[in-house]
Amino acid sequence: MIFDKRLVKDFDKALLVITFILCLGGVLMLHSATQAKGLIFIESYVFRQINWIVLAAAFLLIVINISYQKFIDISYALYAINIVLLMLVLILGRERLGAQRWFTVGNFAFQPSEFIKINFILTLANLLGSKKGRLEDAKMFFIPLVLLAIPFLLVLVQPDLGTALLLIPIFLAMAYVGGMRVKHLLILVIIGISALPFFWHFLKDYQKQRLLVFLNPNVDPLGAGYTIIQSKIAVGSGGLTGKGWLAGTQNQLNFLPERHTDFIFSVIGEEWGLFGALILILLYFLITRRGFDIVSSTNDMYGKLVAVGIVVLISLQVVINIAMTIGLMPVVGIPLPLVSYGGSSMLATFIAIGLLLNIGMRRSRF
Amino acid sequence: MREKFLLIPIRFLFIFIVLGLIFTQVIRHPYYSRLSKDNAIRIIPIDAPRGTIFDRNNIPLVADRISFDVAVVYQELKNREKLIRLFKGLFDVPRKNIEDSLEKASLKPYAPVTIVEDIDKEKAFMLEEESFDIRGLVIQTKSVRNYLFKNVGAHVFGYLSEINEEELQNLREYGYRAKDLVGRDGLEKYYDKYLAGVDGGLQMQVDNKGRQVRTLGLKEPVSGKDLHLTIDINLQTVCDKALWGKNGAAIVMDPNTGEILALSSAPTFDPNIFIRPEDSSERVKLIRDRGRYPLLNRAISGVYQPGSVFKVVVASAALETARITLSTRFNCNGAYSIGNAKFACWKEGGHGSQNIIEALMNSCNVFFYNTGRTLGVEKLEGFARIFGFGKETGIDLPDETKGVAPGRLWKKAYKKDIWYEGDTINYAIGQGYLLVTPIQVLEMMAVMANKGSMVKPYLVKSVDTTEILSVNRRAVGLSDDAIRTVREGLYKVVNEENGTGKRAKVEGIAIAGKTGTAQNPLGRTHAWFSGFAPFDNPRICLAVFLEHGGKGGLEPSEMANEILQEAKSKGYL
Repeated sequence: MIFDKRLVKDFDKALLVITFILCLGGVLMLHSATQAKGLIFIESYVFRQINWIVLAAAFLLIVINISYQKFIDISYALYAINIVLLMLVLILGRERLGAQRWFTVGNFAFQPSEFIKINFILTLANLLGSKKGRLEDAKMFFIPLVLLAIPFLLVLVQPDLGTALLLIPIFLAMAYVGGMRVKHLLILVIIGISALPFFWHFLKDYQKQRLLVFLNPNVDPLGAGYTIIQSKIAVGSGGLTGKGWLAGTQNQLNFLPERHTDFIFSVIGEEWGLFGALILILLYFLITRRGFDIVSSTNDMYGKLVAVGIVVLISLQVVINIAMTIGLMPVVGIPLPLVSYGGSSMLATFIAIGLLLNIGMRRSRF
Repeated sequence: MREKFLLIPIRFLFIFIVLGLIFTQVIRHPYYSRLSKDNAIRIIPIDAPRGTIFDRNNIPLVADRISFDVAVVYQELKNREKLIRLFKGLFDVPRKNIEDSLEKASLKPYAPVTIVEDIDKEKAFMLEEESFDIRGLVIQTKSVRNYLFKNVGAHVFGYLSEINEEELQNLREYGYRAKDLVGRDGLEKYYDKYLAGVDGGLQMQVDNKGRQVRTLGLKEPVSGKDLHLTIDINLQTVCDKALWGKNGAAIVMDPNTGEILALSSAPTFDPNIFIRPEDSSERVKLIRDRGRYPLLNRAISGVYQPGSVFKVVVASAALETARITLSTRFNCNGAYSIGNAKFACWKEGGHGSQNIIEALMNSCNVFFYNTGRTLGVEKLEGFARIFGFGKETGIDLPDETKGVAPGRLWKKAYKKDIWYEGDTINYAIGQGYLLVTPIQVLEMMAVMANKGSMVKPYLVKSVDTTEILSVNRRAVGLSDDAIRTVREGLYKVVNEENGTGKRAKVEGIAIAGKTGTAQNPLGRTHAWFSGFAPFDNPRICLAVFLEHGGKGGLEPSEMANEILQEAKSKGYL
């Protein structure tokens, strides 16, 4: 694999560096969050996470070597495979934390819902790109909505409310950039919002509980509200400068549940304080900014749409994850990209960033 | 170029979380910081040992001892059945009780929960060894109050019990906490703030399950201060034993200083039963004993008619005011009349013609009826007060009562009636409205022992090493002649062949005293003896009182004899 000069010139090295800085910070936090378990190194979360990063980096290398257009070409097939996997998860998946999100392949708990985000973006880009210029017509909504609805419902019944809902803003952003009329999109949003009470009945009890707890964590301070209360205490007690690495009492004394996965940010807030948190947010914002630069500088509509989807995906995951740790949003199972422990999320995020780099380095070829 | 607009909401979202973080981590930081500390920091109180109480010869009387409790950490308990069998064998408690306790322990699975309190030391050591085999078994120690002489001196020491809600409100500022034991009576109450000490605490970091992770700090408890008493425990034991099976009081004092050598009240109790939880039924029995009132300290809180011991006051008053002299004689033919009312002497047929000394020796009522009438109620009341009646002696014990030294005004106020001549007659022989505590009688006698000076009685010589300057001696203002005459009468009470208190006599010691047999509306007469020895330079002054005890010349005099013999053998006489 030899890149031509132009590819190297347009390769966004800063984006790659930021990605690895975030991974490194994540590993440090993961050590702090899990050291109390006293595992030997090769069984530790840190070791496993490093393996995932290495594997994910390899995937990233593969992804940037194949033109993103090839992925778009096979996107329907990838989408179909992913949908089948989502169905299989419902039938065969292991139940964890009340939700069936995993396949176990060997030691690897494979989570198809992490990959549907990317495959959905690729497929939607393919569809919207091919209908370029004709999207002003409201009838054009039908197929994209079906494309959204299938994974949305499959993920929702897992149940993984967070991932399901995440697909909606991605859809809206891509449809908007693809050229659909704002008026049509607004009507769609209004219809969606008015259908919310209907969806309430589809939610599992624990999801309803989480949403109610978001409105008032004290309805169940030892049950569903416990996580959010302890997380707010952790972040809030961190103050400006934090309690220091490995020195957060909420973290080290086990008051924070789920702290190596969805609530890793609580550990950051507690141990590194507001300053640490702001640096982290700045790094994510830089990813978003570089992503938008790639979107703007790409003339190819397909590439543009994929890049938009990925930028919205990453930035919204960051915002939702942090907002939920400080009680600004309900607790939905959204990990902090590149930092939370988890193989599927790490692989999916690296593939997404790989696609972004891919589009950036090939922007002037089309 | 629509993507340009897309950056706006995304920027807005990032600003939204940054503002959220600033709110949480800066504005609400103090609040969350406190919650975080509350989560992770526990204070485990360490009780301060209470001060030890010593007798005048440094013999410990009341001290804290180590109690061994068996506790269970439920989480670590593996073999429940083995534990139950072991406990059943060792402590002879019903299986149901053990299971109930274990049930309680399961509610706090990570903390040691006490199952059996205060076990024998040998069993504790045995269990300590067993605890290697039975996980979750913990032997805990704590210090508990121990009244070493059990029911001897109970009314001097008092007892402890848990602080109640109202007291907690009042005393919180002084460092008292819920479940603290506070002095309920006796010296434990009067000197509580010295004895109590300051509790310490261990600051522990705990995890989400309440397990202790590490110690953050230790505040050493400050032990309570020791009390060194004027009590001689040997003399105290003799007094307590002399009263055994009776209702009454006995007090021994050094009249020169006011040091109380023994102070007994009967029936007595064992203050230890207020400490041990398993003794709650005995405790209830004690508190509810309305017939005998064992918790009442009769020596300082019980009021009774003094009877003839009060003649000491009447004689002194008459001589001091010169209403009578040594040569004044009254004839006793067995009764005394005013109008239709007839007042009898205790001796049928009477004592014949007597002077003051003979009247004291014989305890002749008729002589004192005459003397009382020549004095009048005002003088009787005034001298009763000079001798300390009608007010507290100020001994360092709680709940002392002042009794009644009646007069015209008192009768008007409390009985809504005028004073009759018959009241004066009764007053003159220590009957009627006059009510005194045994310690007041002792104080009265001490004035005679001291040849006219009164001392304040006290029990505590020093708190730790700080001496309490309690010796408070003042002349009451009687002339030497009056005192000499009354003292002579008191000497004859014990030493003459027909003296009423001759049973108190101990060979080789010059003892003086006065008996009393007081009629009372509740039944059999109260019996008194109060005296001092040696006559010329007294070192012991005592008062013995028996509730419904018959004649003062019998049992109380014999008890005084016993006590004085013990005092002699201990070198006080």
